[in-house]
Amino acid sequence: MGNSSHRLGALLICFAVTAAAGICQAADPPGQTAAVIKRGEYLATAGDCGACHTAPGGKPFAGGLPIGTPLGTIYSTNITPSADFGIGRYTEEEFSRAIRRGVRRDGANLYPAMPYTSYSKFTEEDTHALYLYFAQAIKPVEQRPPPTQLPFPMNIRASMIGWNLLFLDSATFAPDPHQSAEWNRGAYLVQGAAHCSTCHTPRGFLMQEEAGRALSGAQVGPWYAPNITSDPISGIGSWTKEDLVAYLRTGHLSGRAQAAGSMGEAVEHSFQHLAAADLEAIATYVKIMRAVRDPADQVSRFSVGKKFSELAELRGRAAIKSDSESAPSGAELFQGNCTSCHSAEGQGSKDGYYPSLFWNSATGAKSATNLIAAILYGVNRTTSGGQAFMPGFGGRPTDANALSDRNIVALGNYVLTHYGSADTTITEQQVAEARRGGPSSPLLALARGSMAAAAVVVFLSVAFFIVRRRRVSA
Amino acid sequence: MASDYNADVVIVGTGVVGCLIAEQALEAGLSVLMLEAGPRVDRWRIVENFRNLPPSLRLFHWNAPYPATPWAPHLETRTAKEQEQYLQLEGPNARAYLQGYVRYAGGATWHWAGICWRLTPEDMRLKSLYGVGRDWPFSHDVIEPYYTRAEYAIGVSGPSDPTLQWPPNAKRSKPYPMGPIPFGPGEHRFTEAAARIGMINLPAPQARNSGVSYGGRPPCCGNNNCFPVCPIAAKYDAATALPKIEAKGGKILANAVVYRIETGEKNSIEAVHFFDPDKRSHRVTAKLFVIACNGIETPKLLLLSKDERNPNGVANSSDQVGRNMMDQPKLTAELELQEPLWTGVGPVQSSSILNTTQGEFRSRYAGAMFRMENFARSPLGAAAALKKGLVGRALDVEIRRLSACTARLTVEHEILPSTNNRLTLSSQKDWLGINKPNIHYDVGDYVRQSAKEYTVPRLQQLAAELGATKFQLSPEFLNSDHIMGGCVMGAEPATAVVDADCRAHDHPNLFLPGGGAMPSATASNSTLTMTALALKAADAITNQLRHG
Repeated sequence: MGNSSHRLGALLICFAVTAAAGICQAADPPGQTAAVIKRGEYLATAGDCGACHTAPGGKPFAGGLPIGTPLGTIYSTNITPSADFGIGRYTEEEFSRAIRRGVRRDGANLYPAMPYTSYSKFTEEDTHALYLYFAQAIKPVEQRPPPTQLPFPMNIRASMIGWNLLFLDSATFAPDPHQSAEWNRGAYLVQGAAHCSTCHTPRGFLMQEEAGRALSGAQVGPWYAPNITSDPISGIGSWTKEDLVAYLRTGHLSGRAQAAGSMGEAVEHSFQHLAAADLEAIATYVKIMRAVRDPADQVSRFSVGKKFSELAELRGRAAIKSDSESAPSGAELFQGNCTSCHSAEGQGSKDGYYPSLFWNSATGAKSATNLIAAILYGVNRTTSGGQAFMPGFGGRPTDANALSDRNIVALGNYVLTHYGSADTTITEQQVAEARRGGPSSPLLALARGSMAAAAVVVFLSVAFFIVRRRRVSA
Repeated sequence: MASDYNADVVIVGTGVVGCLIAEQALEAGLSVLMLEAGPRVDRWRIVENFRNLPPSLRLFHWNAPYPATPWAPHLETRTAKEQEQYLQLEGPNARAYLQGYVRYAGGATWHWAGICWRLTPEDMRLKSLYGVGRDWPFSHDVIEPYYTRAEYAIGVSGPSDPTLQWPPNAKRSKPYPMGPIPFGPGEHRFTEAAARIGMINLPAPQARNSGVSYGGRPPCCGNNNCFPVCPIAAKYDAATALPKIEAKGGKILANAVVYRIETGEKNSIEAVHFFDPDKRSHRVTAKLFVIACNGIETPKLLLLSKDERNPNGVANSSDQVGRNMMDQPKLTAELELQEPLWTGVGPVQSSSILNTTQGEFRSRYAGAMFRMENFARSPLGAAAALKKGLVGRALDVEIRRLSACTARLTVEHEILPSTNNRLTLSSQKDWLGINKPNIHYDVGDYVRQSAKEYTVPRLQQLAAELGATKFQLSPEFLNSDHIMGGCVMGAEPATAVVDADCRAHDHPNLFLPGGGAMPSATASNSTLTMTALALKAADAITNQLRHG
C-alpha cells in the first residue's frame, strides 16, 4: 500500500507541474521521457511480450496468438493502446496490476499463461517505463482477438483468486546484498522479465511452478524445456559462462544444443537483442544457481553418442521401389530423411549450420520429447547471424514431407540407438501426443467430469483457507 | 449415368500446372479433385532409390529412381530395350524426343532443374517480327503479372540487378522473392571465359530456396542432385504442394489413370473415366475439367476420347491436337581442360547464356541458349579412371584430374512449331490396353542451319576459351525434356486448340493448360511460362465458375 500511495503522490505532483502543458506523466525528470520509453521498449524485449501478444503475420502486440496449454487454448490479448480492444483505457495503476498481479482492468483474473508470477518482480521504475512504452510508443491496433474459452471449471476466472493466493509471490525483486551487482542484475532478469521459470520450472498438480525444483526442466507443449540448473550431469554445469552467452545470443552451441520451439522464439525475439552486460549477468546468475540432479541421469545429455554410419551395409542391396507403403527400416528413413543435411555419419556440417546428431541435447536427453518435437515441427529461428531452419516432418498438415507416427518411431529410435541416449525408446503414443500439442494436464481430465469439477472447486476453497491460515500464523 | 466421384473442378495431373490451379480454385472456395495416373511416393523413398542405383545409372538416367507402375508407364532408360517400351518415336530426329517426364504424384518437377527464365516480348511475336513460327494471342505485358505471381507461388531466387535479369532491364511488377544462389567456382570461370567472347552468362533464376526457407521448405544446401531428386525439397516440386492442397480441402486420388473424356449435349464435358490398378473403371463428374498432363499425355488423352460429336478427338475440330510438338533440340560437348574448372558446387544448373537467343537472325535460323552443366564430375571421372585400369595413387590422381578438368557444355535450340511434328496414337497398347503415344519428330532446317552456321562454332569458341584440349560433340540432337506444343494456343478456333486462357475452343468447360499450349518454344526452359499460363487459366476458371 505504501508503494501505491507514493505513486499516487508522485502522480499528483506530476499533474501540478505539467498541467500547463496539458500532459500528465509520472515523475520523470524533464526531458527524460524518451529515455524512459526506450528503457520500456528494452524491458518489453527482455520480457518478450511480442512472442505471445503478436500473431504470426499480425500487427505487433495486437494479440490473437493461440497458445496451447495443457488446459486448453488461450488467445493472447491486444496490448496496444486501443481504447476499445487494447489497454488504451488502462491507468498506470491498472497496468501495473495486470502485469504484476494478473488482474485485468475490469477486475477479472488473467490466466497464468501470462507470466505475471514472474513479472511481479518488476520494480516500480521498470513498470513505469513499460507503461509509458506501451501507452505512448505503440500504435493502437483496432482489432479484437478471439476470446479465450477454456473448459469448465477453468472458464471461471475467479478460481484464479485462490490460485494467486497460493502461488503468486507478489513481492518485487529484492537484491541480495551478499551477491555482486552482476549476479543481482542476472537474478532480476531471470526471475522477472525473462521469466525463465515459466517454461523451465516443473509445475505441480494445479499448474503452479514448483519452487523447490526451480529451472530443473518441464514440458512446454510438445517440447521439453530442459534442466538449466548448474548441475553438471542433469543441468548445464558443463557450459562455460561464454557458452551460455553465445547460446542466448544465437540459439546454437555446436556439439551441445540448439534452441527450438519457444526457446527459439525467445532467442529470436528477446535474448539476441539484450545488452552484452545483461546476457553476462543472466549467465552469471544461472551458472551458480542451486543444482538440481535427476537421480536417473547418469551422464550429461551433451556428451552422448558418436559418429556412425551403416551405409556400407545398405547401399546397392535395396530394391528400387515405386511405393513407400511397406514398413521401412529406421536406417532407410534415416538415410532418406536426415543425412542430406546432417551428413552420412550424423556429424552435421563443418560450418556448424547443421548440428551433429550426437553430443546434442535433443538426442542425448533421457526423454526423447525434443527429438520427437524437432522431427515433427522442425526448427525456425532467425537471429542477426541468419536463419536456422529445419523443416518439420508432418507436425503441420502443410509439411512437404510428412512421416507417419510409425515411421517417426522407427526413425527416432534409430537415431537414439546410434547417436543419442541408447536406453531411451519412443512409442507411437508419444508421437501422437506430440502431434496433439503435448500432454494435457491431469487437472483437465479430472475437471472434465462434473463431480471432479466440483472437487476442484472444493479443493481450491480449501487451499484458500489453508493460505489464509498460513498468513495469519506468519 | 452414375458417377463415382464429383467436384466443382476435376484436375487430371498433379504436376506444377495442376497443383497451382488446384490451390487457386480451393482458395476461391471451389471443391477440387485431382486424379494422378501414377503412385504417390515419399521423398525419402525416391532419395533412397537414387542412392541405391549403380553409379552408371545415377547420371543421365533421371527416371531411374522413379520406377514406373504397370498402369502408368513412362520412359525408362536403364537398357536400350527398355528405352523403346513406352514412347514410340520416329522421324529424322526421333532420339531428340526421348522425353523423361514422370508419372508420379508431383509430376516431372520431381526432377526438373528448377530454372525459371521468362520469355522476352520478341519470343512471343516470331511471326510478326521474323516471319517464322506463330505469334502468341497476347502480348508480354499480359503475361508479366502472371510471371511474377508464378515466381512467388513456387519461390524463385534471382538477381535484383536488372542487367543480370532476363529479359534484361525489362519491367517487372515485383523483385524476385529471394536473392540469387551464389555461383560455384566452375560457374565463375565459365562466366569469365564466355564474357571474353561476348557471351553473357547470367545467374539463373531458380525455384530453389537461397539462404532462407520459403513456403515451409528449407534453403538449398548444395547436395548437387537437383535431378533426379532434391533430397530436402529446397527446390520447389509439385509433390511439396500436395499436402497444402489437402490442407485446403482438396482431394487427391493417385493410381487413377484417366483414359477417356466424355462429352455431352452442346459438346460440353460431362465426365472423365479412369482405371484403377485393378483395371476397374470409374466415372468422375464435375462442372469444369482441367487436363494438366503436359504436351504428350494431354493430346494422347484428347485423341483417345474421340466420339460421334468429336470424330478427330476431343478439342480437335482444328485438327491441331498432337501437332506442333516441340522441345529444345540440344547438342552437348564433352570437354577435357588443361586447368581445373571444378563444377559441382551448388545446384546442377545455375546459369545460362541467353543473349544468343535473340536477334534478327531468327528469320533464318534458330536462336540458342548455351550453358555449362554444374553437376559434380566425380562419378564420371571415377568411372573413366577405372576404365583406364589404374590403381592406387595413380587412380586417385586421375579421378581428381577428371573430376576437376572436364566439363559438359550444352546448347539448346529454339525449334519452330510444325504440323508435321505430330503425336498420334500408336497401335501398341500399354498394360491397361491404352494406346501408347507415337511421335514423329524432325528438328527442321531452322535448327540444323543454326547448328551449322551459328551454335557449333560458338560452342567450339567457348571450349577454346575454357582451355579445352578435347572437344567431343554429341553425334545427334538430344531431348531437353521441355515438352511444348500439342494443344497450341491461338485466337482462331480453326488453327488453334485453346484460347488465350488455355480453354478448349471446342468445349467451354475444358482447360488444357501447360506447355502443350505454348505456340512458341524459345531456347530457354519452359516451366515458368507453363506456370504463368496455369495461373492465367486459374483466374479464368474461377471467374467462369463464379459467374456461370
